[in-house]
Amino acid sequence: MISAYLIHLLIIIIIQLILSLSLQISIGYAGLLNFGYIAFFAIGAYTSTLLTINGVPFLLSLLLAAIIPAIFAYVLSIPTNKLKGDYLALSTIGFSFLVYAVLINWTGLTRGPLGIPGIPKPEIFGYVFSSNTSFLVLSIMIGLICFILIRKIVDSRFGKVIEGVRDDEPALKSLGKNTFKIKSITLMASAFFAGVAGCLFAHFITFIDPSSFTFMALIPVITIIIVGGLASIKGTVIATVILTLIPEILRFVGLPSSLVGPGRQILFALLLLIIIIYYPKGFFGKVEL
Amino acid sequence: MIFLQLLFNGLIAGAIYALIATGFSLIYSTNKFVHFAHGSVVVASGYMLYLFYNLVGINFWISVILAILCAGVLGWVLNRTAYTKLREKKAGSSILLIASIGILIIIESLILIIFGADVKTIGFIKTVKGLEILGAIITPLQIVIIITSIVLFISLLLLMKRTGLGKSLRAVSESRDLVEIQGISSKKLFAYSFIIGSLIAGAAGVLVSLEQNLEPSMGSSLMIKGFTGAIIGGITSVPGAVLGSFVLGIVENYGIWYLPSGYKDAIAFMLLFIFLLFKPNGILGVNKGWIKS
Repeated sequence: MISAYLIHLLIIIIIQLILSLSLQISIGYAGLLNFGYIAFFAIGAYTSTLLTINGVPFLLSLLLAAIIPAIFAYVLSIPTNKLKGDYLALSTIGFSFLVYAVLINWTGLTRGPLGIPGIPKPEIFGYVFSSNTSFLVLSIMIGLICFILIRKIVDSRFGKVIEGVRDDEPALKSLGKNTFKIKSITLMASAFFAGVAGCLFAHFITFIDPSSFTFMALIPVITIIIVGGLASIKGTVIATVILTLIPEILRFVGLPSSLVGPGRQILFALLLLIIIIYYPKGFFGKVEL
Repeated sequence: MIFLQLLFNGLIAGAIYALIATGFSLIYSTNKFVHFAHGSVVVASGYMLYLFYNLVGINFWISVILAILCAGVLGWVLNRTAYTKLREKKAGSSILLIASIGILIIIESLILIIFGADVKTIGFIKTVKGLEILGAIITPLQIVIIITSIVLFISLLLLMKRTGLGKSLRAVSESRDLVEIQGISSKKLFAYSFIIGSLIAGAAGVLVSLEQNLEPSMGSSLMIKGFTGAIIGGITSVPGAVLGSFVLGIVENYGIWYLPSGYKDAIAFMLLFIFLLFKPNGILGVNKGWIKS
């Protein structure tokens, strides 16, 4: 029983980690306050769900669940490209509300608030990852690939250029860099991995509805990357593990289940406020916003 | 007359958005950061009205005044606790925005815990038959909404243009240092802008709770509407924010002529993106450097 619960938690941690690392690319490294990425998570989840339900193989739908959010990110980057910090943040939040409104209302495609049940477990070359243990193995593999790719991106020359966008955009422009392109690619990379996380989430829970992708879902991940520290992969990993485990305590202290959700949100938001007031760099952060 | 009915509906929605947008743009122009928790101040005021009038049973008008005062106090407290601390640490506007999102989540979750997730109705105004004007129906409450908002805009405009406080507030939005040199405390002005903006938000909250029902999560969507209105009109100018909000309300309501009504929110954001793409400074706004041109 305990081990089943632990496996469940580990899978959630891996999904959360991919999501936090993906946001770290745009907020931590590029300094782009992309608060709309819950929408990319949602698009990834819905893409993969709709494809696999209609018989598309899992690997192909995983790939599309990553590419389609990236295309949306490119489209989003066009109107928002000139915007600075908080303006960008609010318009990307607007984008996530837009996607949410479509998910709720386009009932022909998404079944709206009813959600889509019975999402098949992933199947690769005839092997079905039906038990949670095998799903954990799959998540670890996908999580590891994402982790290595993200590390490669941020350590590469391109990663240094992204950090240039954060620290001094005019200087970068004066060196002849096309910052529009750089920012677009950053947002796309961020959306790509958010889509992967969405795909894993959908196939793990096997049921999705728009309520998993509200604005409220933003706060845990923002808290994780701020607590762990911006532009720090190590900090993100540690913060993801700790912050996914802490709210589990609420389940054990006998709080009524209706209070667990909001209690968790308050816990995260308070932690976020305390960190940005007293430790603005987080635990392992290199930069402040 | 569907055309006229939708125009009325648009004006009513616009009046509420405008009340949110004016408070928001007042706080934005003086403090230079996005006070996203403004939306939760609106909702908190609605719930305070519900608490005083429906649960405690105080006279309706006294409850309204208490609810609006609570909103003002809440705005002051938020500024005093979180924002002042962050400003002392020289936090950038992005950090203040993240803080305000955190505050919004805390207030919404607290409302959810205290009042529950179910929809609340104030029920002070009994359903009366609306007046018929040229075939369109408008209820007395909706007339009150429009009149209240117009009165509040004119008073705010007079406050900003005619009084010393208004002049200082406009000055601090231009240059904080010059205001300090003149011996005016910018800290005090920030506090005033929060109190005034939140009182207006409180009025908006009362009107929203009478016109629609109350839900804990409505704060963020109201905030996005107010923000969209403010951007469309030009975020630095309070008249611009009013104008933009009315444009938003009207476009939204004509939009659902063609699309299912659930898409109302989506229409607002499409409008936001169109403006960001083609006219990022808004209808009346001037570029003061937060958008690179």
